[in-house]
Amino acid sequence: MSSSRQWLASALRRCQQIPQQATTTRPFSSSAPLAAFKSPSEQLAGMFTSHKKDNASSAASAGRSSSVLQELLRVGSEKGGINASGAVSRVLESVRSSSADLKLSSESHAYVRQIYRRWTPGEVYAPRDLNPTEMRRWRRDRTPKRDILDVLGVNPVDNYRNFSLISEYVTPLGRIKHSKDTGLRPVNQRKMAKAIRRAIGLGIHPSVHKHPEILLRSRLITPISPPVSKSNA
Amino acid sequence: MKAAAARGLSPGGALLRTSRLFALPAAIPPPPGAISEHTTYKQSDTATQAFPTHQVITTLSSSRQKGDWGLKRPLPLKSTTKSTNPMLRVKAIDTIESITDFTSGADHGLTLRKFQELSLPLFAPQHKNDVRKMGLQPKSVFEDDGDVTALDSLEKIETRDVRWKFGGPWLSGMNTAEFKRWLVHAIRPKRAEFRRFLKAKLAVELLQPARERALDNGIEENGTELPQAIDPDSIADEQYNLYLRKLRSDLPELYHMVGVFLDLAPLQPPIQWSVETASSTTEKEPVSHTLRHIGSPYAESGPPPTHPSAGLSYLRTATYMENHPMYGPQLKHTPVQARVLSPRRPGRYDPVVGVAGFVAKTPRGDSISNQKKSKTHLHLERLDPSIAGGAKIWVHPQHAEITPIGQVRIQLADARNEDSMIVQELLGEAKVFGEVKQPEPAPTWSAENIRKRFSRQLYTSPPVMSSSDRYGMGAHSLGGKGYST
Repeated sequence: MSSSRQWLASALRRCQQIPQQATTTRPFSSSAPLAAFKSPSEQLAGMFTSHKKDNASSAASAGRSSSVLQELLRVGSEKGGINASGAVSRVLESVRSSSADLKLSSESHAYVRQIYRRWTPGEVYAPRDLNPTEMRRWRRDRTPKRDILDVLGVNPVDNYRNFSLISEYVTPLGRIKHSKDTGLRPVNQRKMAKAIRRAIGLGIHPSVHKHPEILLRSRLITPISPPVSKSNA
Repeated sequence: MKAAAARGLSPGGALLRTSRLFALPAAIPPPPGAISEHTTYKQSDTATQAFPTHQVITTLSSSRQKGDWGLKRPLPLKSTTKSTNPMLRVKAIDTIESITDFTSGADHGLTLRKFQELSLPLFAPQHKNDVRKMGLQPKSVFEDDGDVTALDSLEKIETRDVRWKFGGPWLSGMNTAEFKRWLVHAIRPKRAEFRRFLKAKLAVELLQPARERALDNGIEENGTELPQAIDPDSIADEQYNLYLRKLRSDLPELYHMVGVFLDLAPLQPPIQWSVETASSTTEKEPVSHTLRHIGSPYAESGPPPTHPSAGLSYLRTATYMENHPMYGPQLKHTPVQARVLSPRRPGRYDPVVGVAGFVAKTPRGDSISNQKKSKTHLHLERLDPSIAGGAKIWVHPQHAEITPIGQVRIQLADARNEDSMIVQELLGEAKVFGEVKQPEPAPTWSAENIRKRFSRQLYTSPPVMSSSDRYGMGAHSLGGKGYST
């Protein structure tokens, strides 16, 4: 019992040291709840020292994801359950770093999403190519200027089993795309429409969405955006 | 001079000859759009192209003030005199509206200057799939054996593995439609010529055994003559058809003959073939004709449209050493900064960086930028909006190569910390030994500061030329502190 009390005392001391460091490294915080989110160790220390008092910061953090972990830690430390020395600080460190990490990566993701141009090695860029006006041009869809089937020498009617080709010319709801979107010349547009109707008629292509293989693939390569922190909510 | 040049010409011809109209070369065709440009609809017409199509011109500052760019009419001063880099691209010397159509040419002009500052050698493409040549150092495009274009027909066959210029296309780079069109327009008219070519081959093949037999029997010693060369036209159709049938069963041989006849660019054989031949150690195994062309560096991705240096650099290697005034000769060249154009995107997009205006892949393998805890790696993984002007990493450009569509690919390696520190020290951003100098706060434009600055410059500035008592060695002769506000 005495050893667990010693451990608790040392953990408390360590936790009290951490917020001091945190305040020195982060003197300016943007907003109070955000700053609290940035350094969860501070809240945790507050809980340790004054968990009987009505602490405003701990109440504010009740809805957050890390609060569950903090509650667990508090209960565990009260019971003296964690015996390994330094475990609390390790957990605190990981919580702090992962939450900061999450914030940075979501911020980065939000900016990277606005880089519409997919740069390929070998291209040349001038400062002008990096400005927002030029970047916006890479965002919008355009009708292809040349008939891709003529360029490649592909006969669509021969390719009715090629579900990736068929899915390319079908809207997400399974309708045949208009020639103003496909950029095909009338003869090829008719041939492509025939290939799509044939594929659907044979039952080898769905009629109300793209091919499941294509959907699965687009699902796999589409980045899943990291959850945005709702600390201000 | 003008009179001398125009002496032998008619008055009209002389007028055209000395005209500035002919000073500019005709524009070359624009970079071919990738096939994906027909399917992916996102593109910009105004983006900088992968290579310049028009000549970039410049002029002296005194002439620029007068609008004189050496063209037919002076250019408007308002739009041409403000630029720091006076470079123009003339689209049309004289349009029907009687104007000279021009735009800025600084994008490609400055890119060229920046590339030349890197002093990179241009190499032939590396073998990526051939196991036997994977580790070899790529060769310069200026090697004597490969950089020849004036060849006769026999030399053309001999140098097929090393040269870069071919009369025929690279078949792997053609799609179905192009191939069909090529067959109809370029190949079908050559049938009779190919027939004559094969008959000449057959004549040589028929003569060879007869000649050997004669030599073995000692006919020459007996005074009789060797068998004469066979006239290809005298070969009977039946014999020719038999030969053709035999050729058709030996496709590699036939392909070789077609390749020689049309001067086709070499093709890379399928990968398992090269692996098999690499693993077979016996030299006696018959090597198929297709495998002859495995040595060409252009077999994998096609020959370049220009000379493989594209005139960008004339260096053969990068094996020169740089000297530092304090630290002596340096192991590596001065590293340069690469702009992180796009960090890694979740999904399948790798980070890309830009060096001297060229988009390049990041260094691969076990390098600093791929170590998880390095700062460089973090820049490549995330976009940090707090960095003013965007994140930059230090890299060592190794060499460059010209791709089959005329793009410049720069190979990068990571810069060592020591090298980037030394450069930063030269720039005043870091210190190799001792403490890092804190950057000075930007000068505020208070009245006192301005007064101080100008009073120093005007009245107490040291002489720029050194006096005889210091011989340029004194602190005053440098004139450093007076100007550094």
